[in-house]
Amino acid sequence: MARLPIGRILFIGLYLLFVLVPLYWMFITSIKPSDDYLAVPPIWVPKQPTLVHYSAALFAYRGLQGLINSLIISLSATALSALFGTLMAYSFARFNTGGKHLAFWVLSQRFLPPVAVVLPIFLIYRILGLHDTYFGMIIAYTVFTLPVSVWMMFAYFRGIPKSMEEAALVDGCSRWMSFRKIALPLAIPGIVAAAIFAFIACWTEFFFALILTSRYTFTLPTVFRAFLGFQGAQYGEASALAIVSLVPSIILGTLVQKHLVRGLTLGAVRG
Amino acid sequence: MNDRQKRDFEAGLKAEVDAWLRGEPTRRDFIKKFGQMTGMIAVAGSIIPATAQWALAQAAVDLADPSTPLGKAQAAAMKASTEGPADGSAYRAVQAAKQYSGVTLNMTYEAGLQALDPRNYSGPVWEQLTGIKTNVVELSHPDQYSKPVAEHIAASGAYDILDIEPAWTPSLADGGVIAPLDDYIAKYLNTADLEDYHPLYKALPTYKGKVWGFFDDGDIFALYYRKDIFEDPKMKDAYQAKFNKALEVPKTWEDYAQVAQFITDQMAPNVYGAGHFRKAGSPGNQYDFLQQFRANNGKFFDENMKAQLATPEGIKTLENMLAANKASIPGNNELDAVSLWAAWLQGKVAMIYSWPPTGRMTAGYSQSDKAINFIPQSTIADKVGYAIVPGNPEHATGYNKALAADSANLDAAYLFMQWAVSPPVSLSRVMLPYALRDPYRLSHFKSDLYASLFPTAKDYLRNLNNSANVGLLDMIMPGWQDYALSIDRMCTSVWAGTDPKAALETAAAEWDVTTDRLGVDSQKAFFEEYKKLPGSSADHTVEKMGLAVKLD
Amino acid sequence: MAQVGNMKQAGSLSRLEALSEWSDRHFKWLLVVPAVVLILALSVYPLLFSIWVLFVNYDFQIPGHAFVGLKNFQQVLVDPVARWSLWLTIALSVTNVAIEFLLGLALALTMVKTFRGRGLVMSIIIVPLFISPVIVGQAWTLLLQRPFGPTNYLLGLLTGHEVAIGWLTESPWLYFSLIIADVWQWTPFMFVILLAGLTSIPPNLYEAAEIDGVGDWQVFRRITLPFLGPMITLAITFRLLDAIKLFDTIFIMTGGGPGTKTYTSSFYLYTVGFTQFHLSQATAGSWIFLALTIVVVTALVRKLLEVDQS
Repeated sequence: MARLPIGRILFIGLYLLFVLVPLYWMFITSIKPSDDYLAVPPIWVPKQPTLVHYSAALFAYRGLQGLINSLIISLSATALSALFGTLMAYSFARFNTGGKHLAFWVLSQRFLPPVAVVLPIFLIYRILGLHDTYFGMIIAYTVFTLPVSVWMMFAYFRGIPKSMEEAALVDGCSRWMSFRKIALPLAIPGIVAAAIFAFIACWTEFFFALILTSRYTFTLPTVFRAFLGFQGAQYGEASALAIVSLVPSIILGTLVQKHLVRGLTLGAVRG
Repeated sequence: MNDRQKRDFEAGLKAEVDAWLRGEPTRRDFIKKFGQMTGMIAVAGSIIPATAQWALAQAAVDLADPSTPLGKAQAAAMKASTEGPADGSAYRAVQAAKQYSGVTLNMTYEAGLQALDPRNYSGPVWEQLTGIKTNVVELSHPDQYSKPVAEHIAASGAYDILDIEPAWTPSLADGGVIAPLDDYIAKYLNTADLEDYHPLYKALPTYKGKVWGFFDDGDIFALYYRKDIFEDPKMKDAYQAKFNKALEVPKTWEDYAQVAQFITDQMAPNVYGAGHFRKAGSPGNQYDFLQQFRANNGKFFDENMKAQLATPEGIKTLENMLAANKASIPGNNELDAVSLWAAWLQGKVAMIYSWPPTGRMTAGYSQSDKAINFIPQSTIADKVGYAIVPGNPEHATGYNKALAADSANLDAAYLFMQWAVSPPVSLSRVMLPYALRDPYRLSHFKSDLYASLFPTAKDYLRNLNNSANVGLLDMIMPGWQDYALSIDRMCTSVWAGTDPKAALETAAAEWDVTTDRLGVDSQKAFFEEYKKLPGSSADHTVEKMGLAVKLD
Repeated sequence: MAQVGNMKQAGSLSRLEALSEWSDRHFKWLLVVPAVVLILALSVYPLLFSIWVLFVNYDFQIPGHAFVGLKNFQQVLVDPVARWSLWLTIALSVTNVAIEFLLGLALALTMVKTFRGRGLVMSIIIVPLFISPVIVGQAWTLLLQRPFGPTNYLLGLLTGHEVAIGWLTESPWLYFSLIIADVWQWTPFMFVILLAGLTSIPPNLYEAAEIDGVGDWQVFRRITLPFLGPMITLAITFRLLDAIKLFDTIFIMTGGGPGTKTYTSSFYLYTVGFTQFHLSQATAGSWIFLALTIVVVTALVRKLLEVDQS
């Protein structure tokens, strides 16, 4: 293992500090009693930590409801997105379906500014009665995460040699069987990675949730809006809720760390 | 009986038993109740005697000790609701609402302190009286406008009762978000209620000849100042020496900035001359600007409905506000109303002008309830004087209770509104320590019960009444929300360093766009109507129109 | 299996076999059907509807949906806030991406050699990627907003004299705050992509250069950079296309203020559409913004696909 020069250690150390300080301060704020907020010098380690902000955030501000809604919507959308995305990606990878144009169309969905799209969707949902429903949100989030799922699985499938599937076809398997029995099991790691990415994208999405949900299906990020009221921001509660929503994100993020490279580089890595 | 009723019943029973054990004349009630419990006597709402019902209510809701003024007001409210007078609005509302028992009403409220009233008092009491449940939806102030509009566009029926700024009435009425109340009023209301309003507030819910809500919160700005500082001999001498004038509570905005700066110079960092709530979205900037602008004789529009903001009056207003900012507590530009209250209560500020709860908090009355635990204790209770804001005070927002047009429970919703704003019930609500609802009825201002809440309560009420006599209204016209947003944005950009003249011109241009969008001619017509209201301008106040209310 | 073939030749296919035969032939199309249907449902219908809205009055305060021609577009084009927000969006996106790129590159270069604890360091570095932008905004607000945030106090300690900056209300510091929040969240994105690129450069090239005594800077310019080219394009493309949508942190940190100083295009359209409910104007603005985005998207994504297919 190489020994790093001092300069580099310093740089990495500073950067780690940069990453950790905001997270630490947010955590501390969530367990500080309100009287400590205005203290000068600022209090970095509270003497009497309290959980009152957590209970306020989860119950009085209905953060728990938001959490449950986010879980329901994100898990469902992730499942659908992983499923349909895998199917589509296999089709692209093996058969080059639709050539460049279909692939381009699917990928470009990712880059549409939500603000351009949300308005017509809001109005259409209203007509179809999908506003503030789980079904409406799940559909929206599935479409929202499809491009990345497709793209990740596309890269993954291209990395799996065709030989085994072709052997199966020669043996008389149908295309569907060769997909199901051979390609799919090999793709599981990639599907898991794609699913984790999709889940995190749904879990952290704010804009669509802001517009398309209301009192029944509001998601966790939208609860933060309640903390912006004119009566002074409730910093303790906001921090508590933030810490709560960080937990799945960080756990899943660490799990996917290995796949991160592959997923983000989308098959452009050689070797 | 379902579980909840059973619990309430037993709680009430316990109260009855205690009373009986003390030998009080409730034996009859006790036996009756016992009989009911064993099923011998039918439990119908109207059979349970009023006092028993009240006992039930007291057990379920945390009512105040009946020997206190608040307790008396609450008892009077309960009595009016359950016994009558039979033609009183409270009684009629409760009777008519019982058929809707089991329904849930969704009501929007400003998040935080405002929402404590329906959560802790009016909601649970209403449920006790009628069996109608209430669900409070807490929203930030700007969201109290945009959320109902969004829900209306989505046709969701999410809300039944809306708390709205009276100035939003034209937009919301034209947009179909709220429903007119005239039919319900004819059916259920004792119209004497409508005469019990202070003249400044009476016409607020009317628009295009119909009534669109019940006014419910007298948000008149008043000036609260530290008597001890103003009467301190050393300060008085120093001021006299410096300015060749006596140190007094300021009557003009120039004086205000001068006095504030003087106090800051003398006493910082322990005490600063003033503080304001300047944070964007915390509704403060637009009201403050508009009150001072009109005090300086500014006019909103000329005869062609062109905005008249970028005028010498506008510049003068912004310059005064900047001078006041300079003299204020550090962080002034990021404060919202609650943070400012915290600073004021801890004695850090010598003058503030803000909403009426200031007085109750200063006297330490509000903090007497554990529900309001995020307001600090008052350190200045006996050191405060009340005055009228320099020039004319703004009636800043206020609240109407309005009926959501998409509600699935229109009658039940309306009846709650009627009950909550009826004179006896509204008195008990504005007297709640944690209430942010402020007195608005003549019966409130004249109430002896209210005047006995804290030592200076009578003066406080008188000052609110006198402020309302010279108060100014927000512009009650379509598009008010857009006009207000332009002012708020203009102010925050000036606090951040933009040149006042440029900012005024930008705001005026935005006002013109809004006016054009809505139609210059129709806006002109609305503006003419608005100008007839008492409080539309400094020379058209309640007092100038000869309608001033004199309290003793 | 050969028997199945014989049976087929015999000409008597059961319905199920016919179906599976048909589905096998059209297999590749069937696979894409679900995804395509979903995307179509959520893009075609709404976009057609919104085209109608473009040319009528759809404004909360003005009843009816009368035809108004190009007035909605005109309202956007003459609105100074619209133009300002576009300019701000471009300025902020470019700045954010540039800083993230440079910082990410520096990090990647530092971390390319394995060392003890590298795994842990990497885990920490990538954490911000998985956090909701709303929370990122919240975290930085807690640090910066007076009077609760410790930033001014810490700066005062560091510099020796009192610091009283309004990080979220004073220009130009507020831009700095927005940029730092964005950089905090998205630098790891650049870092990961560039690291992947760096690790795929064949080490023998570096060894050869070392033997030849080539200097560090030359190595960087002649070997590293060219190899990294495609990855750099990828990273910047993806990041830029996301950066122009900047909304969440603005919403939480500054609310677009003070005045309209931090209105990005997305925030402007949100305000016009969902705070003021001038829905037809917001739709027109969205389409204009969309058109501009499509131009950029097409150019960059085409380039990306070339890179990918090479």
